[in-house]
Amino acid sequence: MTDQDLLIVFTRTLRDLLGDDSIVLAMNTRRSDVDGWNSLMYVTFIVAIELELKIKFRVADVDSFETVGDIVAKARSLLA
Amino acid sequence: MLFNSYEFIFVFLPVTLAGFFLLGLRSRNLALGWIVVASLAFYAWWRPVNVLIIAPSILVNFVLARWLLRLTAHKDRAGLARLVLLLGIVFNIVFLGYFKYVNFLATAANDLVGTNFVLTQVILPLGISFITFQKIAFLIDVHGGRISSFTLRDYGLFVLFFPQLIAGPIVHYREMMPQFQQARCRWDSENIAVGLALFVFGLFKKVVLADGISEHVTPIYEMATAGSEITLFPAWIAAIGFTLQIYFDFSGYSDMALGLARFFGVRLPANFDSPLKATNIIDFWLRWHITLTRFLTAYLYNPLVLCLTRRRMAKKLPGLGGRAPSVGAFFQLLVGPTLLTMFVSGLWHGAGYLFIMWGLLHGVYLSVNHAWRLFGPKNWANKETYDRFMRPTGLVLTFLSVAVAMVLFRSTNVGAAKELLQGLVGLNGISLPQQLYAQLGPLTGLLQSFVSASTDMSAQELVLAMAWIGVLLLIALLLPNTLQLTARYEPALGVYSKPAASRYLLRALNWTPTAPWAVAMSVGVVAVVMRLGGKSEFLYWQF
Repeated sequence: MTDQDLLIVFTRTLRDLLGDDSIVLAMNTRRSDVDGWNSLMYVTFIVAIELELKIKFRVADVDSFETVGDIVAKARSLLA
Repeated sequence: MLFNSYEFIFVFLPVTLAGFFLLGLRSRNLALGWIVVASLAFYAWWRPVNVLIIAPSILVNFVLARWLLRLTAHKDRAGLARLVLLLGIVFNIVFLGYFKYVNFLATAANDLVGTNFVLTQVILPLGISFITFQKIAFLIDVHGGRISSFTLRDYGLFVLFFPQLIAGPIVHYREMMPQFQQARCRWDSENIAVGLALFVFGLFKKVVLADGISEHVTPIYEMATAGSEITLFPAWIAAIGFTLQIYFDFSGYSDMALGLARFFGVRLPANFDSPLKATNIIDFWLRWHITLTRFLTAYLYNPLVLCLTRRRMAKKLPGLGGRAPSVGAFFQLLVGPTLLTMFVSGLWHGAGYLFIMWGLLHGVYLSVNHAWRLFGPKNWANKETYDRFMRPTGLVLTFLSVAVAMVLFRSTNVGAAKELLQGLVGLNGISLPQQLYAQLGPLTGLLQSFVSASTDMSAQELVLAMAWIGVLLLIALLLPNTLQLTARYEPALGVYSKPAASRYLLRALNWTPTAPWAVAMSVGVVAVVMRLGGKSEFLYWQF
């Protein structure tokens, strides 16, 4: 999966989660850039991504992601 | 040694800074070692035996952390690494539990199952709750691979650094150590000026504002403790007055901590961001005691919610969110973890039923706030209409909710809290000071069925208390906070140069090292010095 493929999966997942089809994620998007993407929705988003991609992030990683790009990079390394 | 004492301001601080800068001329290592020695002296000043209690626990943590560091380098030792981490966490919790909770547990057992444990006098080492959390966070960070090397001096510096030793902010090793490692350890005029400004702002907030209103608040809580009925007006003065007192006290302390660290060229994380301007309780907790919220979220709430969410979604049950939020998910993934986290927060603050009730009440507030977001009506025309109505409503509701909960936080026993809570809803009646009641004139007949005359509080006391509340509310709600005033000098980690306000008058308040500000701060210092000398502890030093 390329970074672009992962971004598409992430965007679709977050749109479903927040019920907002206008969301477009980029590598430098932060949680604070997306209305309603609070800490609760963040955890649900992470688990939804885990289930979709069949990977598992470490708790320490989940806490350290600052941008969508960080999550993409970690997901890519776990998929490799 | 209190930050607001003569010995700290005029002896300890100048000597420590002079030693730091002089040793810094020779080597950074010597200067940093000096901070560790000075911090130990600072800690020992209050009660020398404290050092004998805390030093062994630091050494045990250091040894465990080194062991953990070696284990995490080998993937095949992951099981043992988890065991060592668990051992470290249990050691720290038992250590904290013994000093802080043993008496409470004995009391609770005696109350609940009728045992007759005899309570012993256990000395509570200063700042033990803050220090313990930092040590636990350090072990978790080593285990998580976020820390790759450290020495005993580095670890001692991280745990003991005196500006944040007693009452936070609760810091992470990874945000502190790079700063120490790059510190110039030389006199830096900008650091000294910014540090002094932050210290003076904090000192003024503590000594003039917090201590000022406490004179009007404390007697009401003492009356409640003595069993007196507290009527409507004094009850609200106690609730709102203490909320303002603790805000200016603790945020004042945090400003002073930021200023003291800045003298050494170090920026601490922000702990307050105008929490009384919050328009909902979730927002309040993102602005109040920020580093505690950060700790509890990262090390308790998030791992718990992550684990529960994984289990739930693996069973194909819905998580939180989605186009149709699930009530089951709400209770399992939000209400449960929130109540548990706030229970721990309450217990962390103090060993007593009232602190636990305070924490749980905030857990309920947060759950209600989240429920409103998930399930509340969404038929507003647009966000602007929603904000126009809900922001002021939310601000008032949040403030009143926080103030009511503060009654539990401040009261010395359950009976006193009950008196005050009854007073807040008018169950103890409404009374006016004799002098005011006599001036009601023709209204007396109309009001006499539910308003009585009282001698508990004079008219002058009532008016003065309300004036204090009014002035402090205006400061808390309308003025930029210390971090905004000094924003262009990055007063705290992650607080970058942002204009304090768009309006000209407020922008003019931005702090700069100029003559007008020097005069204003000198006036503040004079006001402080006139009030110094009394033994006025910071409210959070008891934790």
